[in-house]
Amino acid sequence: MTQNIINNLITQLTRLPGVGRKSAQRLAFFILNLPKDDAQALAEAIVDLKEKARFCSICSNIADADPCDICRDEARDRSRICVVEEPSNILAVERTRCFRGVYHVLLGALSPIDGITPDRLKIKELVGRVQNGGVEEVILATNPNTKGEMTARHITELLKPLGVRVSRIAYGLPIGSDIEFADEVTLSKSLEGRREL
Amino acid sequence: MLTRTEGIVLRTAVFGEADLIVTYLTRDHGILKAFAKSPRKIRSRFGSSLEPLTHSRIAVMGREDAQLPRLTQSDILRPFQTLRDDYTTFVRASRLIEMNLRFLPEREPNHDAFRLMMQALAKLESGRKNLYFLYYKMRFLQICGYLPGLEICGRCGRSSSERSPQYFYLAHGSILCEHCSAVRDEARELSAGALRVFCGMLNWRFATIDRFRVGDHLIAELDSLLEAHIAYVLARPLQSTVFTA
Ligand SMILES: [Zn+2]
Ligand SMILES: [Zn+2]
Repeated sequence: MTQNIINNLITQLTRLPGVGRKSAQRLAFFILNLPKDDAQALAEAIVDLKEKARFCSICSNIADADPCDICRDEARDRSRICVVEEPSNILAVERTRCFRGVYHVLLGALSPIDGITPDRLKIKELVGRVQNGGVEEVILATNPNTKGEMTARHITELLKPLGVRVSRIAYGLPIGSDIEFADEVTLSKSLEGRREL
Repeated sequence: MLTRTEGIVLRTAVFGEADLIVTYLTRDHGILKAFAKSPRKIRSRFGSSLEPLTHSRIAVMGREDAQLPRLTQSDILRPFQTLRDDYTTFVRASRLIEMNLRFLPEREPNHDAFRLMMQALAKLESGRKNLYFLYYKMRFLQICGYLPGLEICGRCGRSSSERSPQYFYLAHGSILCEHCSAVRDEARELSAGALRVFCGMLNWRFATIDRFRVGDHLIAELDSLLEAHIAYVLARPLQSTVFTA
């Protein structure tokens, strides 16, 4: 009986990305030893997420209300939109406390071999926001890899004719690293993106 | 066991929190998948070496039969960055990547496919890209044994005339002469010019293909024929063809 209950949880946990049978077992036994309240809170958090989480109809961020907290916040600068691939990227930018504008989540990046075309992403919606007016700058913070770069280029072509300023986050060497160990692509991109001091 | 070889990155798939599964076309082992630990972290030692089309010297660690050996080394030999920097070129190069992924079995050495890809990538950095893409597709299909038969009738073996248009049948993967098929409505008409180009090009090597004289409209005609043929052979079109390039 107990065996079945534990196995059930283990099976459920292995469905999570990056969780193998072994880690699932470890997690299951950890949960087994949790105080009842903690386990309850964990279960409720999961159910809550499924029941209450939705995409913000303005920026496609995941939120418990529509529009999301950021889009509703009167103190934020609506003339600046930072474009990211995934909702989790917003958290990363927010941690910097350097950006007081609003966001737009594309929910992915262009990828020809996966058939991810522009219409599969929230690109039309971004163009719509810019067309509605009041936007001065769009900051493209898609990932610095092939898909992210392709996506940024595509969006730039769509937005440039609308007279909005389009910028791309800088490529650079990670702070604390040594030039000697940078590969040629990273280094050449950093040189391209150099700025006057 | 440690295996060293050279590889061209075909694709990467996100795995877990910061890891990737990298699919290579390798010089010695054909298609090879490897698990790369934490390349998505900013300070990863893999740097940009796992971007698609990068040619690297790699080492993987794992038992011979391991499903997913671990990537322990990846040093860029040639980044082919210009192919990724240009939207259209990358979309079209994605079709080559996809052909490799869809046609070649895993871990079956294919030196010809590797050499062909290396030659194509080097060529595609400049010059007559349309011609290189077409040439690559023809040679690749030839290596895999799927080159469409345009030189002789697929049923009776009669040589096709290079002076009149011919009719290509997807279901046969070849042209059929008028004696072998009277029904033309399921066939694709192929101009005599395109047929001459096709037969002629197969006598050329990649290194000298620039000297081959052919107009863009004939390249486009053959390219679209090959794309239809590939979609038929694979039972569905390449994903990347939904991108207009
Ligand atoms: Zn929002
Ligand atoms: Zn015949």
